[in-house]
Amino acid sequence: MPKITIDGKTLEVAKGTTVLTAAQQLGVHIPRYCYHPKLSISGNCRMCLVEVEKAPKLMTACSTEAADGMVVHTATDKVKAARRDVLEFLLINHPLDCPICDQAGECGLQDYYMDYSRAKSRFAQADKVRREKRRVMGPHLVLDNERCILCTRCVRFCSEVTKTSELEVMERADHSFIDAKEGRALDNDYSLNIADICPVGAWTSRDFRFKQRVWFLKKTPGVCLGCATGCLTEIHHNEGVIYRIMPRPNADTNTWLCDPGRMAYKAAQAGDRLKKGVIKNGLIDLEPALREAASRIDEHHEAAAVLGSPWLSVEDNAALARFAKDGLKTKNYSFDFDPEQGIKDGILINKDPAPNAAGARKVKAAAGGLSFKELSAKVASGEIKVLVAEARAAGLLKEELKAGGARLIVFAMNRSEIPAGAYATLPYASYFETPGTFINFQGLERRTEPTAAAAEGVKPLWAVIGKLSAYSGGSLRLESAQDALKGI
Amino acid sequence: MISVKKVDNRPLNFLERIYLPEIVRGLLVTSRHFFVNLFNPKGMPTVQYPEQKLPLPHAAKERTRHRLKLRADGTPKCVACFMCQTACPAYCIRIEAAEYPDNPVEKSPAVFDIDLSRCVMCGMCVEACPEDAIAMDTLEIPGGALSRAQLKLTKEDLLMTLPGDPSDKGAANRLANEHMKSRGEA
Ligand code: SF4
Ligand code: FES
Repeated sequence: MPKITIDGKTLEVAKGTTVLTAAQQLGVHIPRYCYHPKLSISGNCRMCLVEVEKAPKLMTACSTEAADGMVVHTATDKVKAARRDVLEFLLINHPLDCPICDQAGECGLQDYYMDYSRAKSRFAQADKVRREKRRVMGPHLVLDNERCILCTRCVRFCSEVTKTSELEVMERADHSFIDAKEGRALDNDYSLNIADICPVGAWTSRDFRFKQRVWFLKKTPGVCLGCATGCLTEIHHNEGVIYRIMPRPNADTNTWLCDPGRMAYKAAQAGDRLKKGVIKNGLIDLEPALREAASRIDEHHEAAAVLGSPWLSVEDNAALARFAKDGLKTKNYSFDFDPEQGIKDGILINKDPAPNAAGARKVKAAAGGLSFKELSAKVASGEIKVLVAEARAAGLLKEELKAGGARLIVFAMNRSEIPAGAYATLPYASYFETPGTFINFQGLERRTEPTAAAAEGVKPLWAVIGKLSAYSGGSLRLESAQDALKGI
Repeated sequence: MISVKKVDNRPLNFLERIYLPEIVRGLLVTSRHFFVNLFNPKGMPTVQYPEQKLPLPHAAKERTRHRLKLRADGTPKCVACFMCQTACPAYCIRIEAAEYPDNPVEKSPAVFDIDLSRCVMCGMCVEACPEDAIAMDTLEIPGGALSRAQLKLTKEDLLMTLPGDPSDKGAANRLANEHMKSRGEA
């Protein structure tokens, strides 16, 4: 195992470790543009130059392997001068776009310029090389070639991570620019990661474009509920409005985030978010809607059924289970969801589009109940007269409901979610507005944290169920999500 | 220099405690001012603002009501970079950005509100602006409104060119200047 000394600190590293990662282990930050921990090493930007004793020239830390006895200096005058010069090269043709560039505030050029250069430009603005600006590339991205520093991170991402290889460096030398290969659109499922890894503002997101300056954004850790993979996310929001979702890299699941997952916040802020109850097709206030739903349930206490949902948190499923067992005292309930799970595309997207089948199974383990097959047979045969379910889970029983003719009482967040033929719909708060526990396909338990307040009158699902139970006799006394978890 | 005034907090004597002589003393001061001003109104320091205005000293001219400058083609010089909103210590600026479909400047303000009832007239927004788009040189001194709503300036209130303003000739923004030149407007 080679022993390497960086800025006077000695460290033993595994063979094959580069100087840059060794320095990182010692807490020494070496500036970099083209290096990315999850991409191959390219060594083209020269920002990471360091001084290695006995080497005739400065070496690139990202591509130099640590060797035994190597002595590295990262803060000598020579290194500082090299960084300043590299930055000057990169900035010669960089446009003065910071006022209109979304990257401003999290830009590699701005940050390193302030840290390592602060030099005045020696070149006239009029002489800057011009390139094509504001090119829409694919459904999610805009490319500004003038801002590009040709680090090739984007090109490597497309060829190594998504393996779709849409991008290429065209032409040579100072004519080089990034472009999609002929006839190719940049429409893979992970394209927005390119905007994240581009160290400058060459790639920016069309969705986030001009919405907000990044320094106003507050960051809350979150969990993606787009599929059973359950990637860790970071929710960027300001004044109760969510602006974008970024990946929170972790060793267990994800470095990246898929594009549909990043857009998941839109439904929570869509215009068709339900703020009131719906009876058949008419909006009515929540309280009368609850009363109406409760009296419909009361008509058939024995023949009422409750279906859990892999789209709901463990807490909300538990509340549904308590509603069935302690409130309705029915035997007709099911929390049995066992879809095929596993990474579908070799990157992140799961075969199971629901985030919490494992969480529902956890509730089943504690509360028992019918298997999904048994319940659907009962619904189809007409034995069940009222079914209480979450909207997307109710969608799984579409045919059976039609055949059996049971009244459907659903919980939904958006109007577009309501299944056809639903009798009553009750709104509930999304998991951007209320905490919830989810169990991903690997069995990892992950909790969402609220970033925004729900609209007035919209409550978490466990609270809606608590009220529903109070109206249909036999209150469950659900004061908090923790109450619902009792016995689970 | 800090001057120190020693306050004598001795207990009130009998004459002061019955108040009447002190009230008479106070009324005498008031009546002296009243009669002096009545017979010599020119000597009064009061100005009947806003009907009557004093000329502003040089530096104060740069601390009057804001305006947003225009380019020669009538578009705002502002590119909605949010620097002023970031710099404002009173949180009185609210901007929403929009995108030009054709103009290569790309970004412009859709909403630009200044709440003068919160503004402290510090001029930080003018300092922060990288496009020289906001100025506080209208020589209007805000204040004297009947409601807070009247003190709220929108983009339409703010956009103006002053007579002899050289700002619409060329801008800090290279793209805007080229765009105007290409359409023969510069
Ligand atoms: S567009 Fe960004 S990521 Fe791609 S080469 Fe240029 S600077 Fe690097
Ligand atoms: S980070 Fe080493 S050369 Fe770019």
